[in-house]
Amino acid sequence: MEPVIQLEKLTKRYGSRRGIVDLSLEVYPGEVLGYLGPNGAGKSTTIRLLLDMIRPSGGRARVLGLDPRADAVALHRRVGYLAGDFVVHKRQSVRECLSFLSGLRGGVPAARIDELAQRLDLDLSARIKSLSKGNRQKVGLVQAFMHQPELFILDEPTSGLDPLVQQTFLDLVREARAAGQTVLMSSHIMSEVEAVADRVAIIRDGRLVAVSGMAELRSRTALTVQVEIEFTTAPNANRFAVLEGVTDVTVEGCTLRCRAQGSPDALIKLAAEHTVRRIRAVEPDLEDLFLGYYSSEEKARVA
Amino acid sequence: MSRSILTQSLWDNRRSLTGWIVAATLLAIIYGAFYPQMTPQSVETVPDALRDAFNFSDIGSAAGYLGTAPFGILVPLVVLFYGVATGARAIAGDEENGLLELVLAHPVSRTKLLLQRFGALAVGAVVIALMIFLGMLAIRSSAQLETVSAGQFAAQATAVCLLAVFFGALALGIGAAGGRHGLVFAGTASVGVLSYMLNAFAPQMGATWLQKVSPFYYYIGGEPLKNGFQWGHLGVLAALTVVILGIGLWAFNRRDLG
Repeated sequence: MEPVIQLEKLTKRYGSRRGIVDLSLEVYPGEVLGYLGPNGAGKSTTIRLLLDMIRPSGGRARVLGLDPRADAVALHRRVGYLAGDFVVHKRQSVRECLSFLSGLRGGVPAARIDELAQRLDLDLSARIKSLSKGNRQKVGLVQAFMHQPELFILDEPTSGLDPLVQQTFLDLVREARAAGQTVLMSSHIMSEVEAVADRVAIIRDGRLVAVSGMAELRSRTALTVQVEIEFTTAPNANRFAVLEGVTDVTVEGCTLRCRAQGSPDALIKLAAEHTVRRIRAVEPDLEDLFLGYYSSEEKARVA
Repeated sequence: MSRSILTQSLWDNRRSLTGWIVAATLLAIIYGAFYPQMTPQSVETVPDALRDAFNFSDIGSAAGYLGTAPFGILVPLVVLFYGVATGARAIAGDEENGLLELVLAHPVSRTKLLLQRFGALAVGAVVIALMIFLGMLAIRSSAQLETVSAGQFAAQATAVCLLAVFFGALALGIGAAGGRHGLVFAGTASVGVLSYMLNAFAPQMGATWLQKVSPFYYYIGGEPLKNGFQWGHLGVLAALTVVILGIGLWAFNRRDLG
């Protein structure tokens, strides 16, 4: 199967500053690829290379079989792009802005714009400058989705969206996949992409450190959560520390804090022997997770 | 009905463009309307340096009067700043606030974007010049300016238009080559003011040849209000504009967007 996106040793240097280094990656038709990495890792650099906003220092990129630079106009016709820092003219109304942008594509049925705006709960008559960050992001989503492109390139698409709208966005992505469209979406938060991604590519310090199917990645990183439980009485730290998958146990007054890896079943059952006043489980952000995960590998490389 | 990049740029800038039109036209009209109040005494008060600067021995004539303050200083400086502000925003300004990337992610080539933005700037300059021309025609007889023909006013207005377009292209071109917005604005405005002074004061330094380096010389040096269309001078401004746009376009197509 011909890849929709094909990167071969793609490199971008900004003077002496690193952008991305020798990045090779393929995205196949009809798949949703989550492009993950901490802020500043090179996600936006990769994406802007695909859109011909910047030019590579080395290597090669093909998108939909086309050269991002030589065939930029033909390529952009077939791509829906949402920039990481999506901005539009502040004085325009939402409808005016979308009508201008669809005009650049030779027109989009008004019904399609209305439908997307309704699903995302976006007021088309509002002035852009009166919109919140989240509502501006909705304008960005509408312009990326309105012309039914073959390929979506979305840089941090969910930033600023409230959870309800995030769900609508994920529905849109699922529908796109069902329609055979391909999606590349970046994020620095694992949970945002794990709901829809078929595969994830992880970038750190400008290098691709892992590409794997969602299921494989889940088993490798074995979901770790930071748990905080407040009891009515002081718990015995030692009883919790011996549980499998539970580490870093500390007790402060009636509050127990620990890290739990894999199934939290044993932890929950032991906690249930006490009266639980409050429980909080925080998924570590991706940065922490991979800093931990790949630091050993890095040490090996340095040595 | 959706708009092209050209018409959308004009629409987005409608407020500031209206401001430039009003400022330039009012200055020309108000100064023109004061011509009947000019007395031989008030002519004496015009500094010799200024008279020499514009090579006007006949400052008492309508063409001579209009060639000093209104069309020699005020109107050209207003349209200079129109060109600089609009040209600097067209590429450098919109690149800095991210609007350039939005448009270029659509099926629009960088060449098309640059030319349409320049087109919007040029249309604005034409409207400014046209309003000045119509304004001068409107007050021509009441302000006793009949010694200047409609054709000579048209020649002056055309020179105003090309001056604005030239400095607009300069700002747009430097932005296209990668200049930052503030730098492009300040740099082009400085070049404009310096070239104004060069044209005005080079003759007094005994360096008439230096005048010919200044774009302002090709704006006013031929005294269009007295001599009508100076095709050679207008041609120099137009040719320089094309060269600058060409270089800007070449650089714009080769560089990374910021």
